[in-house]
Amino acid sequence: MTQTIIEFKNVTKSYEETQVLTGVDLTIEAGKFYTLLGPSGSGKTTILRLIAGFSSATSGDIIFDGKRINDVPANKRRVNTVFQNYALFPNMNVFENVAFGMTLKGVNKAQIKEKVTTMLEMVQLAGYEDRSIDELSGGQQQRVAIARALANDPEVLLLDEPLSALDYKLRKDMQYELRELQQRLGITFIFVTHDQEEALAMSDWIFVMNEGKILQNGTPVDIYDEPINHFVANFIGESNIIDGVMREDYKVMFAGKEFENVDAGMRPNERVEVVLRPEDLDLTTPENGKLIVTIDAQSFRGDYYEISAHDDDNNEWRIQATNPSVLNSRQGLTFDPEDIHIMRFDESEDDFDARLENYEE
Amino acid sequence: MVEKQSRWANVYLVIMFLILYSPIFYLIFYSFNAGQYMQNFSGFSLVHYGELFADDRMLQIVLNTFVVALLSSLLATIVGTFGALGIFSVRNSFLKNLLLSLNNILLVSPDVIIGASFLIFFTLLGLSLGFGSVLMSHIAFSIPIVVLMVLPKLNEMNSSLIDAAQDLGANSWQVLTRVILPYLTPGIAAGFFMAFTYSLDDFAVTFFVTGNGFSTLAVEIYSRARQGVSLEINALSAMMFLISLALVAGYFFINQHNTTRKSKKGRGRG
Repeated sequence: MTQTIIEFKNVTKSYEETQVLTGVDLTIEAGKFYTLLGPSGSGKTTILRLIAGFSSATSGDIIFDGKRINDVPANKRRVNTVFQNYALFPNMNVFENVAFGMTLKGVNKAQIKEKVTTMLEMVQLAGYEDRSIDELSGGQQQRVAIARALANDPEVLLLDEPLSALDYKLRKDMQYELRELQQRLGITFIFVTHDQEEALAMSDWIFVMNEGKILQNGTPVDIYDEPINHFVANFIGESNIIDGVMREDYKVMFAGKEFENVDAGMRPNERVEVVLRPEDLDLTTPENGKLIVTIDAQSFRGDYYEISAHDDDNNEWRIQATNPSVLNSRQGLTFDPEDIHIMRFDESEDDFDARLENYEE
Repeated sequence: MVEKQSRWANVYLVIMFLILYSPIFYLIFYSFNAGQYMQNFSGFSLVHYGELFADDRMLQIVLNTFVVALLSSLLATIVGTFGALGIFSVRNSFLKNLLLSLNNILLVSPDVIIGASFLIFFTLLGLSLGFGSVLMSHIAFSIPIVVLMVLPKLNEMNSSLIDAAQDLGANSWQVLTRVILPYLTPGIAAGFFMAFTYSLDDFAVTFFVTGNGFSTLAVEIYSRARQGVSLEINALSAMMFLISLALVAGYFFINQHNTTRKSKKGRGRG
């Protein structure tokens, strides 16, 4: 029952010498919450601007609802944008801002008034119609920007790092509200952020980007548990990434020892990278440990202790533990076979998916 | 120590303003003189004001001056605003700087040179000198002023405002009239007033391009002063000073009003 609404076919974008997008393919299905996640300069905002029509692709096709829209101007596209700095019109009050799109379309006054009221109620700003923009706090401006975009009944709502200017608590609240809003309205949201926590919390589907390429796409759980390469593993959450060798299927060697694991489909003795998430590691007595580590430092983080340690092979380990440890003591480190994730060097996303499918059957 | 410093600063300020304003007050003071010269104040009288209001030629010139100032600043504001938009939209940074420099050169080059070049230009074209030539040259020297006042406001404008307007369905004309121009209004107004005052008191350029039978205040006062200043000029200066004072006061109160409104809003912020 899913229907493709936006499709990129080998889209590239360059500004003079620099290439910001290198052959991007992506598919967006209607009614889901998508996130483009990447560091600044990764091309995620460029993708958003291409969808909105603020800039045009150097090559490739952008398909919207089955039609190529490369040459359709921004004001004729059925998408609306919430900007990073809100971009509210300072010479208009809240009502006029939200009504702007409808006023241009020549919707009659009564209808506009009704719609603006509904929109402001939806973003919890009922009664703010006559306020001027500079009377509003950052969070309120944010809500007006969302109301203004949604008042045009877009099929896709684009959000360009809309929460980055808000403080931590407000950002958390807005994450829930946006997610809830998207599910209630059933509109496709495409959300751009560099904050992996935000992406994991809100999205149905994440595209991880770096240097103008989509490195991996999938559900938050897939991407967190099975990052395709070093960059993704490092960017999404904290990771211990250690060089290893895949002896044979389901047997990997790292830190000078062989371990049982759940990955397969690689060449015997292939050099790989091993990922272990800090929260999957547990400290125990040296006798019970799969590895022996020495505790170097620890810091209290509220809900857990962040502990850093090194093993006898001099690999650094980060561990999240509920209880504090003793500095410079030797401790055992345990984990389960399914906590070990193997990344091959230079494996494409397609090959990765194919391999996973093969051995998971 | 700090108090002492600020007291000296105040004394300095007062002396400076006294020096700057005393000639004007001296002039105004003698406009009320019953005698004919700026010596020996022989008694209070409004006789020179009477002369001024009976002087049809002078009143006509005052009118001319205001008409030229109003028309030229209005037209220059329109041309200058679009010029600023044009310069702003140039992507090539070399070309942009070139245009900007060409604009600024007109602003800093001496009025005498501008006036002389206009005179050559108009005679080459065979245009008769008079109202038209004065108006055109005033428009021309006012345009760079307007550009200079509007451009910073444009640069300060968040470019995503334009994206947002397009995103919400505005075509280029609607983007311009509903978003850009309202945003630029303070800059446009400032440009208009600057152009207006420049035109009002311009002497050098006007002196070159004005022909027989048309004159503006600056030129007229200059030519009359050469034959010995009549106290009628003092009366006129006093009137002009009052008008300027009223304009400045009006500007001040409008500004004051806006800032208090702003600060009230600031306090209301959650």
